[in-house]
Amino acid sequence: MKVKKLIALGLCAAMVSGMTVSPVLAAEDTAEEADATDETAEDTTEEADAEDAEATEEDAEATDDAAAEEETTEDADAAEEDAEATDDAAASDDPTAQFDGLKANEAYEFPMMVKSFQSTYWDAAQEGMKKAAEELGVTYTAQGPNSESDIADQVNMINTAISSNPVGLGLAACDTSSVLDALQECADKGIPVVTFDTGVDNAPEGSVVCNVATDNAQAGAVAAENMYNAIKDVIANADGQVIIGEVNQDATAQNIQQRGGGFINKMIELLQADGKTVAVTGNEFYVNAAEGADATESDADVIIQVAVPAQTTVELCSTEAQAILSQENCIAIFGSNQVAAEGVIAANSNLNVLGSDPANGDVVGVGFDAGSIIKGAVQDGTFIGAVTQSPLMMGYYAIYALTAAANGQELEDVPTDGYWYDATNMEDEEIAPNLYD
Amino acid sequence: MTKKKSILSDQRFIVVLVIIVLVAIFSGLSKEFRQYSTILSMLDFSYYDLLMAIGVTFPLITGGVDLSIGTGMVCYALISGTLIRNNGLPVVAAMLLCIVLGLVVGLLNGVLIGVMNLPPFLATLCTCMITRGAGSLCSATPWPALTQEGGWFHSIFKITVGTGRSADRYPLGFLWMILLVILMEFVLFHTKFGRYTIAIGSNKEAAALSGINVKFYHVMVYVVCGLFTGLAAIAYAAVTPTVQPGTGAGLEMDAIGGVFVGGVAASGGYGSVVGTFVGIFVIMLLKTGLPYIGLQANWQQIITGVVLIVAVLIDILKEKKNA
Amino acid sequence: MGEVILTMKDIDKSFPGVHALDHVNFEVKRGEVHALMGENGAGKSTLMKVLTGIYQKDSGSIVYKGKETEFHNTREAQDAGVVIVHQELNMVGDLTVAQNIFIGREPKKGFRIDDKKMIEDSKKLFQDLHIDIDPREKMQNLTVGKQQMCEIAKAISHKAEVIIFDEPSAALTEKEIADLFVIIRDLREKGLGIVYISHRMDEIKVITDRVTVMRDGGYVGTLITKDSTKEDIINMMVGRVIYEDPKEHSMVAPDAPVVLKVEHLNAGKMVQDVSFELRKGEILGFSGLMGAGRTETARALFGADPKQSGKISVRGKDGQLREVTINSPQDAVKYGIGYLSEDRRRYGCVVQKSVTENTTLATMEQFTSGLLINKSKEKKVTEKYIQELATKTPSADQLVVNLSGGNQQKVVIAKWLTRDSDILIFDEPTRGIDVGAKNEIYKLMNRLAAEGKSIIMISSEMTEVLRMSDRIIVMCEGKVTGNIDISEATQEHIMTKATRNIN
Repeated sequence: MKVKKLIALGLCAAMVSGMTVSPVLAAEDTAEEADATDETAEDTTEEADAEDAEATEEDAEATDDAAAEEETTEDADAAEEDAEATDDAAASDDPTAQFDGLKANEAYEFPMMVKSFQSTYWDAAQEGMKKAAEELGVTYTAQGPNSESDIADQVNMINTAISSNPVGLGLAACDTSSVLDALQECADKGIPVVTFDTGVDNAPEGSVVCNVATDNAQAGAVAAENMYNAIKDVIANADGQVIIGEVNQDATAQNIQQRGGGFINKMIELLQADGKTVAVTGNEFYVNAAEGADATESDADVIIQVAVPAQTTVELCSTEAQAILSQENCIAIFGSNQVAAEGVIAANSNLNVLGSDPANGDVVGVGFDAGSIIKGAVQDGTFIGAVTQSPLMMGYYAIYALTAAANGQELEDVPTDGYWYDATNMEDEEIAPNLYD
Repeated sequence: MTKKKSILSDQRFIVVLVIIVLVAIFSGLSKEFRQYSTILSMLDFSYYDLLMAIGVTFPLITGGVDLSIGTGMVCYALISGTLIRNNGLPVVAAMLLCIVLGLVVGLLNGVLIGVMNLPPFLATLCTCMITRGAGSLCSATPWPALTQEGGWFHSIFKITVGTGRSADRYPLGFLWMILLVILMEFVLFHTKFGRYTIAIGSNKEAAALSGINVKFYHVMVYVVCGLFTGLAAIAYAAVTPTVQPGTGAGLEMDAIGGVFVGGVAASGGYGSVVGTFVGIFVIMLLKTGLPYIGLQANWQQIITGVVLIVAVLIDILKEKKNA
Repeated sequence: MGEVILTMKDIDKSFPGVHALDHVNFEVKRGEVHALMGENGAGKSTLMKVLTGIYQKDSGSIVYKGKETEFHNTREAQDAGVVIVHQELNMVGDLTVAQNIFIGREPKKGFRIDDKKMIEDSKKLFQDLHIDIDPREKMQNLTVGKQQMCEIAKAISHKAEVIIFDEPSAALTEKEIADLFVIIRDLREKGLGIVYISHRMDEIKVITDRVTVMRDGGYVGTLITKDSTKEDIINMMVGRVIYEDPKEHSMVAPDAPVVLKVEHLNAGKMVQDVSFELRKGEILGFSGLMGAGRTETARALFGADPKQSGKISVRGKDGQLREVTINSPQDAVKYGIGYLSEDRRRYGCVVQKSVTENTTLATMEQFTSGLLINKSKEKKVTEKYIQELATKTPSADQLVVNLSGGNQQKVVIAKWLTRDSDILIFDEPTRGIDVGAKNEIYKLMNRLAAEGKSIIMISSEMTEVLRMSDRIIVMCEGKVTGNIDISEATQEHIMTKATRNIN
């Protein structure tokens, strides 16, 4: 009996993780359901930039806030908490101030769930955890599945961790909807959870005490702004339609969703400010999530093409990128994480169209995250630049937040920024530590 | 009764027709597809698929399977790449290491299946998990690559002359592939090993009663598969910028799918390496061409699945007709 | 004995090339156990298959319970109450006893299978039969004897009125047979008609009321069991005129050396303490009824099946008889033994491959130089054997599946001749081969023996045994029961040894 079960499990692991059709489909559905809340969250974080009057949603927020004030304990869902936290953060200016003078009351030990050991990104995050743990005199154990698509594996690891009743749990969820049960159990058992890298919408009340995450919409917008500066003149002087490409490794993870969406929305905003009409084509999720596109594919001045591969491999991202880049009127492309950006670089190895001189016909490439390949591309001008998150800071503040929570402190969310880097500022003190290999 | 066979009954011919039709469709619907760079990129990513497929053709002909090739390939590339970076292993040694690792895992598969009589599906499923985990052990370091010593390693598969625009790049790897396909086709039909591989797939008991050392050859089949998985690891490292830990599961499905498209009998006993060669190109064409005509990822997989079903059905219908 | 419940009259049935049933008569009365006897291939099974609807008769009539009847499949026969209990049990080991008994006609309760009712009904069945079996037990956990009881219970549950037992005792122990007979007697009391097919003469005497003997597809006669002797029955079974000349005396030279000596070979239940010698140029016939353990002996000798004990000695090239270890077919082949399986399609040749590939399968190293196969040499040798054995094939490239049975057999013979095997084991060499081709195979075997090869020939055809063998080993239930020189061999003699129940 047990053996059969094992085999079945193995089968699932081998098949499902490889051929992600079904999980992708399933996850997409939930993602779409959760759409509305996503957007609210995004909007709030973007408030400073977004001057568009999005009356209806702000209204909704207002009522939400009101409701939250009236019934502070009941029905406080994650989106609202986000909203409040950001507001508070804006008020106090620096959310990290809440950790001033923090000391651990005991030598806590925290299980830290990362999404995988697949990416050097998580190594940088662990570096931050290590630093914080040393400063505070606490310990942590980092755990994670083989790959970011091994959702079930991660859920199992979380359940195992919970069963040993830790004083707190750090979590970067591979799939935000799959961890809800586990979070409910944390709430029941009184285990404080700090999410990092990826927030969990609709987290059960009392489970997530703090979210430490890149403001992905902001990070995507940073990429769009810098790209737009480089291609503004090309677009202004174009005789016909031009194409801007975006390769996203998936349409299921919230951070990729927000980042991809942040890029698209900012780009639309910038283009429209200069009087251009825009259409978004390609992957259904991102097309539906885009806001403000005002033209159809046939008559738009600029088309933003969004591609998502069948599996999260460099190879398939590369094929998608190549299909975009091989169009003659493609002027720019954005790879929204390490896999996607490396895919763009791989595609370019055959096409050789990327470069830093758009006026002379080079296609402008922008990457995301770091790693030796992307850093090399930024250095040699294949990419004009890239946006890095600060996994280091996320890991660092996650440990701080957990320690504070274990001490019994009330916490507010800690957003971390995405930073633009290019050949000129890669060595800067503020940037370099986040540019992992 | 006589040997006169219509060329139409040869699955390989049908597959070539399918390739022509697919190329026509993609070229017709997308002018971007009709570029030299498309061929280059398709070939780049076909090498490792093809190498895995050539290897797994042999277990499939015996009626078995090897599910560990995808994760195995990534695992060997990861281990070698990590050793290059952390221990300064020369690239040539890393390439040899890929092959040795492939042979070792192949031998393990072979012993489990041929000597211990484990079902191939189960045995290779286990080694699939093992190689996947072993590959991920390397992930404490940054994603490795087999690129350290100058550019010559990548030139094994693609040489660049002059400016580096796509017209100046030549897919040298394709030449190696053709040579390997010819070699292995020869091995399959003109050596004792090949003959016994087919005999085992066709009637293992009769082969054993003829005094053939069935166990030995059964093991060898998986060793050969492992050897090609090792070669695939080299090709994989040469065409991808970095090797991602934790990936690889599912890659074997493309290779196995290609072999079936190429006409290996689903029950074993018949197949050819040339068939595998053309079969893989159907898979590669679908993988490369479908994004060009604007089909989204989910549809790509659905269409690939349908093509596979059709291929296996053709095979079964053919067998029925013969019986 | 009551009134007649079943009458089969003038049943005639032909298959292409074979007159399987030639105007056979058979009847069963209520409350009677009626034995159906005959050699292998006498037509007993065919007759029962016609009765239960597996085959359709060409002519003749079946009257069941006073009405002319013809069943078109076993289901119809079952529903009417004519049920067969097969020798090989048709049971699903992973299901419970009750589930097996009611398989295909499970009682339903809404959409759900009513397991409770199934178990209760099974219990009642077993009670009626005085059998002690838990219906909830898994089938595979029962002994063969108990499984057989379940099979019988299943038959009864079909409201059977005629039950056919096809060699029911073959796999049973003494004790289980005794239990079986209790049940059969009980069924007889209840007025059922019972057909009992068996080779065991002792059982026939004990359990049956009448015996009908068949031979070569024809009806020979019916005897009252208690009024007849064993010898009467055997005489009826073998009383055939042998058209082909039997061998009068051994063709082996008196001083021919022993090339193979088997001593006290034990391998499973079917090979018990088997000893024999094979001499150079000898054709050693292995006779016996189905399930006597002849094929098992050959496979154990050849290393295809594991053996528990025994000593095998083979004459080497230097003329010395030496003990050898044979643990696999490879070992056997190394010592010059070749095995031609009774089931050619399954074990003998790779049917989807060409004549050439099959011919050279066992001798690849002769045709490889370095790593490569020397295809022209391969073809030359194959063509030589095609000529020598007069194999009818359009070319050496023809797939074996397209050849007739006799020519397939020649391809397998060629395979062993290229190997230069000195000892050839022919297992049913002419099964499924038509008469003309049979004679060719016989000639070929005689020629091989004359050339100094030694042949073990396992055959279930009495004529074949008497015509080909120099000496005959008779086996019965895994044991050697006779070792007869051809000059003393008669059908009766062999049959007596073959039906001797050593227990």
